[in-house]
Amino acid sequence: MSKNIVILGCGAAGLSAALSARKTDRNINIIVIDQEEYPAYSRCGLPFVIGGEIRDFNSLLTFSPSMYKMMRIDLRLRSKVIDIDSNSKTVVYIDHQNRKETLQYDSLILATGASPIIPSISGVNKRGVYVLRTINDCKAIVEALPSSRNAVIIGAGLIGLETADALYRRGLNVTVIEILPSIIRASLDEDMAEIVKSSIERKGVKILVNRHVDEITGSNRVDGIISNGEKFKADIVVLATGMKANTELANRIGIQTGITGAIKVNSRMETTIKDIYAAGDCVESNHMITGQSTLSQLGTTAVRQGRIAGINAAGGYAIFPGVLNSMVSRIFDLEVGTTGLNMIQAEKYGFKVLTGSVSWRTRAEYYPETKSIRVKLLFERGSLRIIGGQIIGGEFVAPHINSLALAIQAKMTVFDIVNLDTCYSPPLANTWSPIVLAAESALSKIRIT
Amino acid sequence: MVRINNYEVINGLYYSETHVWVRIENDIAVIGITDYGQKNLKEIVNVMLPDLGVFIAQGDILGSLETAKAVIDIVAPLSGTVKEVNENVIGKPSLINEDPYGRGWLIKIAPLNLHMELPKLMDFSKAIEWYKTLT
Repeated sequence: MSKNIVILGCGAAGLSAALSARKTDRNINIIVIDQEEYPAYSRCGLPFVIGGEIRDFNSLLTFSPSMYKMMRIDLRLRSKVIDIDSNSKTVVYIDHQNRKETLQYDSLILATGASPIIPSISGVNKRGVYVLRTINDCKAIVEALPSSRNAVIIGAGLIGLETADALYRRGLNVTVIEILPSIIRASLDEDMAEIVKSSIERKGVKILVNRHVDEITGSNRVDGIISNGEKFKADIVVLATGMKANTELANRIGIQTGITGAIKVNSRMETTIKDIYAAGDCVESNHMITGQSTLSQLGTTAVRQGRIAGINAAGGYAIFPGVLNSMVSRIFDLEVGTTGLNMIQAEKYGFKVLTGSVSWRTRAEYYPETKSIRVKLLFERGSLRIIGGQIIGGEFVAPHINSLALAIQAKMTVFDIVNLDTCYSPPLANTWSPIVLAAESALSKIRIT
Repeated sequence: MVRINNYEVINGLYYSETHVWVRIENDIAVIGITDYGQKNLKEIVNVMLPDLGVFIAQGDILGSLETAKAVIDIVAPLSGTVKEVNENVIGKPSLINEDPYGRGWLIKIAPLNLHMELPKLMDFSKAIEWYKTLT
């Protein structure tokens, strides 16, 4: 009898697991169950649909339904799993026609993702208050655009700011309200965050930090918000206050969650119950530098973890090495990227840090299209190994972040980076790489020459 | 040849809903995958095809195509015995992407029952209508 792999969730991690399971075992049955009506699509692409750069939601789908058939991946959409029994190894779900179905599994993969955290603000349930996680969330915001002039975004993380950018591009008057002392605080140090904040404010977008939202006002439809006593008009309010791992099913059957509240997995993506794996936004990851648990709710982490879970669930062997949380985002005219630890995190984990920063140009100084770029690097004082990097620039930030991630994973020191043999041509790069210059700046603080 | 939503569909061929085409050359059926199939797969890195002399039935899985991330089945559009396998695509799978209807052909079979089985495939005009319904 052929074996069954059942995957709960057809998002980035779930699909990646299904693909790699199929590559590992050409004959095993692979069944993917998801609540949504669409198969896997790029959630990261949603702000660009709001902003108008991407016209068609269908282009966000990773594969068309006919491709799943060709890959012999049995896709069951609009289906909600209501129970798992790890003793009988069964999954019970309600299908798209409201019928109760039971599936036997040999391996089960939980790729249930995460859901937007709804802050407990009075008025949060009014019409005109949105989150942005799904295509349907996105459609609702897009539909509200023609009749909207003012938008308030609650939360200045990446989702909040990318959404603010999208709404700004559509001509709305945008205000962003952040409870913490600086924006993108999960990734950027305050000095770097200030550069991004000033740049956004120069566009006429208001960003208020250290502020909470007292109330969302309006009779049945939102008309504004009140923050620290001050009123702001709003036709659209977007809640971007973080994501919470979907662990309800895991909790129900006694799968252990970790210190972050997400599902605990080992490096083979196995949960604490035999033959049940988990991957993506619903799991806790191991940080490659600190060795501690962290949340890494990124598309890149999801597909990489999904791949490992799929190989192992199909009888193969693969190890997930942990995360650095490398990220990049386009926020208004700037590209912002980080990898590894920032100062706040380094201090939290007890690292003493040497920093080096530089402001430079992306191409030759005289080249017309050249843009500004600022690089901040963190080195651990004892070993002088690179442990983090933050870059803000007009272009090329993603490849530079990837170089830093490689340097961190290869355990390079400030000396290795200072001696990097980089490439250059006036329209493409500067003679001096800003990564090398930032490393030189760190070295100059300790060298006695 | 026509283009539906940027996918090439060629006259004189028969098409299946599993993105496979058939060309009848005298007593032989040449089989390959369509432009829609290769475009959706993107770069093909590996091809597995049946051995010579093997009998395949209509609807059977006759082989597979592998890309960086996916493995898909090639579903037999007709029943018959494998007479020839395209060694060129085994050595250079990207031929299937470059020229899916020409140099990227996959296998040639001696069909068992063209009379009954060919009508189950789509001819050129039916194929055009069907492609219009695909996203």
